[in-house]
Amino acid sequence: MVKVESTLCSQEIVEKKTDLSEAARIHYLTPENTEFALTEGKLLSVRVDGELYPVVYLHCSFPHSNKRMFISVRTSENQEVGMVKSLDEFPVDIVRLLDEQIHMRYFAPIITKVINIHEEFGYSYWEAETTAGHLQFTVRRGGGNVKMVSSVKVLITDLDGNRFLIEDVNQLSEKEYRMVEMSL
Amino acid sequence: MIKKNMKTLPEELKGFINQSGLQEEKILYWVNCDRGIDGGFVDTYVILTEEALYRLSNGQTFQQEKTFKGFVSKTVNKDLKPLEMNQLKIERIGIDEIHSIQVVNLIASGMLVIKAPNERAFASFTNGNMARAVKLESIFSKLKKNESIQFQKEWGEEEDAAACPHCGMIYPEKGRPVCPKCLKRHAIFTRLLGFARSYKKSIFFIVLLMLLNSATGLAIPYFQGTILFDQALGGTGIFAGKIALVVGIIIFLRTLSLLFGALFGTMNAKLAANIVFDLKTNIFSAMQRLSLSFFQKKQTGQLMTRVNNDANELQHFFIDGIPYFIVNAMNIVGITIILLIMDWKLTLICLLPMPFVILLIRWVFPKLWRLGWRRHRRVSILNSIISDTVQSARIVKAFGKESVEIDRFQKANLTFSDVEQKFNKMNSTIFPIINLITQIGGILIWAFGGWRVMHGDLSFGEIMSFVTYIYMLFGPIQFMNNIAGWWSNCMSAAQRIFEVQDAVPDVSEKEDAVHLEKMRGEIRASHVGFCYEPNKPILKDVSLHAKPGQMIGVVGPSGAGKSTLVNLISRLYDVTDGEILLDGINVKDLTAESLRKHIGIVSQEVYVFMGTVAENIAYGNPECSVEEIIYAAKIANAHDFIEKLPDGYDTMIGTGGYSLSGGEKQRISIARAVLHDPNILILDEATASLDTETELQIQEALESLVHGRTTIAIAHRLSTLRNAHYLYVLDQGKVVEEGTHEELMKLNGMYKGMVQKHEDALKMKEVI
Repeated sequence: MVKVESTLCSQEIVEKKTDLSEAARIHYLTPENTEFALTEGKLLSVRVDGELYPVVYLHCSFPHSNKRMFISVRTSENQEVGMVKSLDEFPVDIVRLLDEQIHMRYFAPIITKVINIHEEFGYSYWEAETTAGHLQFTVRRGGGNVKMVSSVKVLITDLDGNRFLIEDVNQLSEKEYRMVEMSL
Repeated sequence: MIKKNMKTLPEELKGFINQSGLQEEKILYWVNCDRGIDGGFVDTYVILTEEALYRLSNGQTFQQEKTFKGFVSKTVNKDLKPLEMNQLKIERIGIDEIHSIQVVNLIASGMLVIKAPNERAFASFTNGNMARAVKLESIFSKLKKNESIQFQKEWGEEEDAAACPHCGMIYPEKGRPVCPKCLKRHAIFTRLLGFARSYKKSIFFIVLLMLLNSATGLAIPYFQGTILFDQALGGTGIFAGKIALVVGIIIFLRTLSLLFGALFGTMNAKLAANIVFDLKTNIFSAMQRLSLSFFQKKQTGQLMTRVNNDANELQHFFIDGIPYFIVNAMNIVGITIILLIMDWKLTLICLLPMPFVILLIRWVFPKLWRLGWRRHRRVSILNSIISDTVQSARIVKAFGKESVEIDRFQKANLTFSDVEQKFNKMNSTIFPIINLITQIGGILIWAFGGWRVMHGDLSFGEIMSFVTYIYMLFGPIQFMNNIAGWWSNCMSAAQRIFEVQDAVPDVSEKEDAVHLEKMRGEIRASHVGFCYEPNKPILKDVSLHAKPGQMIGVVGPSGAGKSTLVNLISRLYDVTDGEILLDGINVKDLTAESLRKHIGIVSQEVYVFMGTVAENIAYGNPECSVEEIIYAAKIANAHDFIEKLPDGYDTMIGTGGYSLSGGEKQRISIARAVLHDPNILILDEATASLDTETELQIQEALESLVHGRTTIAIAHRLSTLRNAHYLYVLDQGKVVEEGTHEELMKLNGMYKGMVQKHEDALKMKEVI
């Protein structure tokens, strides 16, 4: 193959190109510019470059693949205050606080044991042991209400939109897997 | 354990409330906040009275068990403790201290945040209680503003409607009045048979022919065995030596059986086609009667395909199911009787392997079914990859990602091939095994029967007949073994079809609805609110007034709720709050016919139906004359392009027909509205997707159309609203500004900003 050089050398092109991170104008929150704190009302507040946001909520950009990176910090009016690139950048106590806030927003019982799934008239009735106790819920068949959200994780959404998770489908027993598989 | 989803407070709580000095009758509203703020499920109640907001909770005690909506629990856990009243803590916050209550959406749940004076997470709840929480928020805000609050009964109504009238269970799905607990499959079956009622005669003949077919079929082995071997060849009985006659009878019986078979087959095919035709017509008309929301719900697409598939499923029910069930049942009974009469001992011996066959089938079939399901899923994935790549061929090529797509396909193909192989392996192993076992029965007959023949207890002819009958028995038994699954499939299919038939439209006409022959065209919307889902309001407190003949402009960013507003005016949906009056009459009190007759919509989503251009224009008024069609096309600026088409107004358009450009379709839909000749015209971004030149042409068309009609025009491009008498600026579901163009420009607010941006954009275009 013959390589043809462009009239502009590659160095010049790089200089002329806009940097994506610049174009996106994402404001990263770092331990240097940000102070998180728990309010008396058990909510999260943040001070960024001296400006106080009395109540903010954490939105994970990748809630299924990695909750700990790219966390968008938003006000209740859905205005983005900034983004935390990785939780690990922050000191341990702040990480704990942010973890709690993430858990508050994304709380979904994790299924530890599938006891029974039976189907009738377009609904499947689930009975399972979870991290939040023994639960019984109803799922509408089809429409992606039981779906793989990663190679091992299954997300189950019931009639009201309540969410339940199977963290690792490979950890299920053969019998449990058979029941879950028929609902996928 | 406190019963959930109750409209009145749980009894245990009432006692507690009275003891706490809080009177039950003072309660305005309450919500069960069943989620802990930090996770887990709890029993917390938030109660609103005119004086204070209360929270009753048992601290951080999590529930060990929870049953969500729709689950019919068969077992009751007796170990569960009831809500322990002595552990309940009550917290009171005076209304004066609270500035606001806000419902914050979390993922799959919600949280009540109160501001008193600082913001505070007060309680959290799962999605099922979202509607009640939103209501509490709204009642509190009315209370704060000293607005009148209507009383409890009204708030419970929606929940009343959603419960099964027999057992009181809340339906698992709102808007789907199906109670799995009370649903009887037999009832569905009877109802399904109702479709066949008008074909009683054909069914009678079909069953008769099938029985005759079976009877002649059953006689053949007897003639082939006992009569041919023992009598004709053996030289005994009335057929002794009459080989030709016996062979003749066998041929005759076979022909007769074939004839009966062919006859019932033809009749059955005709009947099934008729029934499925009735069924499809029935479903389609049932669907047309339903409200727009039915079609816009997420599962509509699925439902429609399903209905089509379900109709086919039921076709099998009528063709392969019922008749074969009758015949197979008769065959089993008939053959068993014949066998028992011939030799009951031998019958029992040859039935020996049967339990093994049944056990094997029971054991293997679920596995096979699962593999089948897995294979089906893999095929779907494979198919979606193919359709994905074909549809996005341009992107794939632009990014040069052909090899990535090939890899993706290969991967899916490989997994599919794995499953396919497993399925085929099992399929091809299990059936020979089943056959082998069943044939053991036949071998056993040969062995024991042969032994008895040698002892002279049985004739050779009898044993021949016997073996043939045994083989004839296996088919029907296999059929019966699969019947449970088949029955359940058919009944589910029938249920889904009946569901569409029984669905109640969200927007329905009142019995004493008023019909307006003439309409002046006055529109008044007062304090209109609307939401598809609780806590996701699309419109909030929107008021609007249009005098007859006026042109009203509605502007605002996308997602502001503009299209929803016009959908409410034409009553494609019903308002959640407030009211909409046309000529002073609430739209809910008007007949659907008066609304459709007097309101015309030209929207951004243009749709042409399968048919000619003329038919498309005349859609709303098929009785109109040819001149009227041409006038309408002329007014809509469509006449010129139609004349250019080789087939003129007779050009077939729509799916599979001549393809029109966006602007052309738009002009056809305007012509449709022109011919419809409404008093109220709604222009919903009618020109938003067009280029400037086409837009100008269509603008001209619209200007002549709006004259003398009340018009509500929604537009992104403000130039299209230059003739509007009055403008409303909508943002996030609220009217943020209103007035004439001049007044709004003076306001120096959002409208002015939009106009300036628009002008800048136009200038940019000129420069370019």
